[in-house]
Amino acid sequence: MQHAPPPARRSAPDRVGLAVVGAILLSLTILGGNIWLNMQAAGVTPGYGFLSQTAGFDLSESLIPYDAGDSYGRVILAGLLNTVFLAICGLVLATGLGVVMGLVSVTPSPAGRMIALLYVELFRNLPKILVLLVLYVVAVRGLPPVREALSIGPLHLTNRSIYMPAIEADARQLWLLLPLAAAVAVAVLWHRHARRIKRDTGRDIVVLPVILAAIIGLPLIFAVLADTPLVPSLPEFRRFDFDGGARLSVQFIVVLVTLGLYHGAQIAEVVRGGILSVPQGQVEAARALGLTPRHVTRFVVLPQVLRIVIPPMINQYVNLIKNTSIAIAVGYSDLMSISGTIINQTFRPLEMMLVTMGLYLGLCLVASSLMNRLNDRLRARGAGGAA
Amino acid sequence: MRPAQLCLTALSSILAVTTVPALAGPVMDDIKANDSLICLVSPTAPGFSVPDSTGVFQGFNADFCRMAAAAVLGDADKADIRGVGFSDSMKTIVAGEAHMGSRSITRTGTRDADEGMAFVVTTFFDGQGFMVPNSLGVSSAAELDGASVCAEDGSTTLLNIADWFGAQGMTYRVENIADKTARLEAFFSGKCDVYASDVTALTADRQLSENPADYVILPEVISNEPLTLVARPDQAFEAALFWGFQVMLNADSHGITSANIDEVMADLDNQPPAVQRMFGADSATTDMAAKLGLVDDWAYQIVKQVGSYGEVFDRHLGVDTPFGLDRAETPNAHAANGGLMYPYPIR
Repeated sequence: MQHAPPPARRSAPDRVGLAVVGAILLSLTILGGNIWLNMQAAGVTPGYGFLSQTAGFDLSESLIPYDAGDSYGRVILAGLLNTVFLAICGLVLATGLGVVMGLVSVTPSPAGRMIALLYVELFRNLPKILVLLVLYVVAVRGLPPVREALSIGPLHLTNRSIYMPAIEADARQLWLLLPLAAAVAVAVLWHRHARRIKRDTGRDIVVLPVILAAIIGLPLIFAVLADTPLVPSLPEFRRFDFDGGARLSVQFIVVLVTLGLYHGAQIAEVVRGGILSVPQGQVEAARALGLTPRHVTRFVVLPQVLRIVIPPMINQYVNLIKNTSIAIAVGYSDLMSISGTIINQTFRPLEMMLVTMGLYLGLCLVASSLMNRLNDRLRARGAGGAA
Repeated sequence: MRPAQLCLTALSSILAVTTVPALAGPVMDDIKANDSLICLVSPTAPGFSVPDSTGVFQGFNADFCRMAAAAVLGDADKADIRGVGFSDSMKTIVAGEAHMGSRSITRTGTRDADEGMAFVVTTFFDGQGFMVPNSLGVSSAAELDGASVCAEDGSTTLLNIADWFGAQGMTYRVENIADKTARLEAFFSGKCDVYASDVTALTADRQLSENPADYVILPEVISNEPLTLVARPDQAFEAALFWGFQVMLNADSHGITSANIDEVMADLDNQPPAVQRMFGADSATTDMAAKLGLVDDWAYQIVKQVGSYGEVFDRHLGVDTPFGLDRAETPNAHAANGGLMYPYPIR
């Protein structure tokens, strides 16, 4: 049921549109020129030379090695990575929570529907910064201080961080990427093989255990044979804090949970709307054909829901990426926090804001273009199926 | 006697009997014409300037407004103390809408280079310091290797901490939290071991904990913040502020306070010469009064109506106040006790 779009009518050039675009460009040029002149009059030369100067301040956490002696450029990179890490974790959590709550909200169970309704209405109607501060205060007061850590084996729960065992980093571990790549190739090939057998013979063969075995087993065998250093590191309490192992800061977890809850509520509504838009007749028809309820969801409902929900989901994902900037309130060193500190120190607000805007814009554009591509593929498949 | 000399003598005797000297500057004249001295303070700074139940500002900084009014107008209550925000107060003084400011402004080179205002005398030596819970068992910042430090996100505090820990060769972990509630909550709940800020801010923030006595401010101060009186430029008025403050410091040296000044005055002949020069009827201060255009007994009025420096400090910030600052442990101790408060000679 695909209609070709109506052919574009040939008409006179859009004079009004061109005039508006021209006016906007002209104003921007005048504004830019004026800012440039004013900065020069104030003796400020606009430029990005400061990026190579020493930053001089520390971060609460960083995914790359960083200390106060590094440059502004590096601290911006550290902040960007913190933001990206938070955004990716937030997207996964919000999507998981949203899909589950969306499904629960259309179950026949009244209790389930009530829970979903309460969740959605609560988190959709509260300012996220308030949710963040409440969760932060609750976490900081509720979790034990570092000296009275709640220890479960090598895992230590405190109001500062969650400390866990880790493997000491070593450059030679990068070799493990080789067997990992091989394992991924094995997994892809095996998956295809299984689908072919299913198509040709209707038989199911084991897939998941094989993939897992390859992904865990191959690097492990490689590590043993190549004698890759994999030294475990356990968190140990010193005078003020745990040392060694890995840590997940409370502020990170709190911001992550806030973003997950807030956007999960919105995604739940998107998913609910998507499910409700699939005509009930299709479900009944599928049941009449003898499909089990699981198969009805898997093969009839979900594929259609996915196509409907992706455009609003792009919106949610982009909003979530931008909303990671609330992290500044509770001390997670994200891009926004670092950008503010740099502006205070260098007093180059214009240059730094442009950098920050460019980075957020880039992140959001990457996310939405990936989602758009997924959308296009699903549409193509849907159209192919209908043809 | 030659005519010219006669003329001069006559002129000087006329000057001596007239109460308003010709030398007073425009700001001084303005204060006297209005019989009121407009002084700007911070609208809400616990211990430094907070309005009381009748709306009158009280506190350490507010008392230096009173000092100026006592010296120039003879009545501390003639200080018109107004609470104004930081950047607005500088503009107000430069624009000539106020006579002075006593609001914890750090004297810095670039600020001093502005010709619209004159920094006169430092009333409080502040600096960035550290606060820790007593339970940590730390008595010096040198013991903080490896500690977690809470500080305001984006502030120069972050830079000062990094510099200081770096210079000491010590490691630390920063919690750079923008929201004040979250920041204090993190400190009071032990999420960070140390809270870093200006010492005065630390003393005020300590009051927000459930039990302020559980926290101690460490002696190390890692940045310099000389909080200084600001005047609208006028040589006589600036001198009045500077020497008014010196009277308070000198009174401090001799243990003279608003409570015992009348006893001192009653027995002035048996006081040390420095005290006599300060409070005597025909002394150094009366000479200064004539030249600067102050009330004759301005030194007495300052001590009587406002108090000595130590008295003012202890009244608003001292160990018996909620702030519990032990003056002897701050740079504001008297020079004789190793502090920076050095009384200039009045003679």
